Amino acid sequence: MAPRLNPLTTLTAAAAVLVITTAASSWAVSLTVAAGAALLAAVTGAARRVLLGAGVILAPFWLSLLVMHGLFFPEGRTVLASWGPARITAEGLGFAVDMGLRTSAFVLVLLLFSFSVRVPELVAALAAFRLPPQFGYVLASTLMLAPIIAARLEKVRQAQESRGLVVGKGFGNRLAAVRLQMVPLVLGLVHDAGVRAQALDARGFRRTGPRTTYTQVRDSEAQRGFRILAALLAAAAVAVRVAASLSGGGQA
Amino acid sequence: MSQPSLTLPTPGQQAGRNRRLLEILGAAAIAATFIFLVLTQPADIAGGLGSVSALVALGGFLLGAVLLIVGVLPTLPTATVVLMPVALVLNIVLGQLMGSTGLPFYLDAIGTVLIAVLAGPAAGAATGALSSIVWSFINPTVLPFAAGAALIGFLAGTAARYGLFRRFYLAPVAGFVTGIVAGVVSAPIAAFVFGGTAGAGTGAIVSAFRAMGDTLLAAITKQALISDPMDKAIVFTIAALLVYALPRRTTFQFPFVRRYNVLAGKEPAKRNA
Repeated sequence: MAPRLNPLTTLTAAAAVLVITTAASSWAVSLTVAAGAALLAAVTGAARRVLLGAGVILAPFWLSLLVMHGLFFPEGRTVLASWGPARITAEGLGFAVDMGLRTSAFVLVLLLFSFSVRVPELVAALAAFRLPPQFGYVLASTLMLAPIIAARLEKVRQAQESRGLVVGKGFGNRLAAVRLQMVPLVLGLVHDAGVRAQALDARGFRRTGPRTTYTQVRDSEAQRGFRILAALLAAAAVAVRVAASLSGGGQA
Repeated sequence: MSQPSLTLPTPGQQAGRNRRLLEILGAAAIAATFIFLVLTQPADIAGGLGSVSALVALGGFLLGAVLLIVGVLPTLPTATVVLMPVALVLNIVLGQLMGSTGLPFYLDAIGTVLIAVLAGPAAGAATGALSSIVWSFINPTVLPFAAGAALIGFLAGTAARYGLFRRFYLAPVAGFVTGIVAGVVSAPIAAFVFGGTAGAGTGAIVSAFRAMGDTLLAAITKQALISDPMDKAIVFTIAALLVYALPRRTTFQFPFVRRYNVLAGKEPAKRNA
């Protein structure tokens, strides 16, 4: 992808696709969207990360759905098999597959967006969109802080282990170990935040008014047009769904 | 910050009023969405996927959360804004650390409650909503729960404001009540957007209630009423432990803590008081 898209364009596209998928509420559409997102991830070279991330989230979710609705679905009429209170119904399995596919599409599309977007560009684009600059700060800072804090927790653990911390089998022992790591970690982080607040305040963080950004975000007439079109399509999909539900006597 | 202004009203005050309006609109959007979902659910769940309910749940709760963030964030002092990313990472890291102990709780709101106790209900609500939005970059399924997370932060801040963190035994009670409210509000999301819960343990509880013939929303609400109050009572206790473990010099930096006497014990002596 030689010319990078504006993050707002990809965000709008992802949101519109999700709204349309939810409004359509058919397993075929959900499956198409999920497959499309996986294909797009493969084209942009993010396939491994997206699919791995989605798998970790979706595998327990699918399992839980299939057990929950596959075995217990009181509204089901077509009983395929039953033992005791558990009975497998066609409606229950259908419901589980519908919901599972819709959530799969949801997760895949959003992960594709978050793994392909460059956070500094997104922050700059959001600031131009007149969101408070603090929002961009919290978003970017969290995503960058996560590895630092993980490393810090590791250091705290090593320090405590060198002072004789041994995590034993017992529950109380483990709880004490968690306390020995958590308190120094939180103390250090809160202290750091105080120092950072003074530095930011000295640089006019709380000033209102326009800000200069060093990140240039590309935008074009075509992308602006596409964003409006995507928003209109999503709105149309919602309108059609609401109209259908009203005329269908509450059958959504 | 806390000194009254000695100058004429500035355009900033108009902006402040607009932000207040955004906060109220955000809270109203969340409340209206919840009421709509509870009122319309019986017809929907029998009709299949409940597509309109899912759209309303996603749209209304997210809109409310974003309005709250946009309204609250610019009013917060820098010390609080800078603490937010730390709180968000704590939500995730401490949650994972707790997971390693093998306890059956999620404990993913410790940072949110910590901020709420130090900086007040508005900051807590914004932190909760932001936590879900930022976390969704790694796990998109938490995104629709932003309103519930905001509510937890708001209730924790309110509990701190009325002195529930001054007595140690009252913190878990406040957490228990918060858990009841948060569980009831989050249940429609799990039911209409995802059609169930992700965890194996929670899924088993929902299945048990479904086997007794409950509707999906009723089953998930009952499951939430079993898991959430206990979880939040623990979260509030841990947050209270952490706040009292912090040096008083640090905690009394926060105007909210000083103004409402949130914590037991005296303010450290001022140099020129």
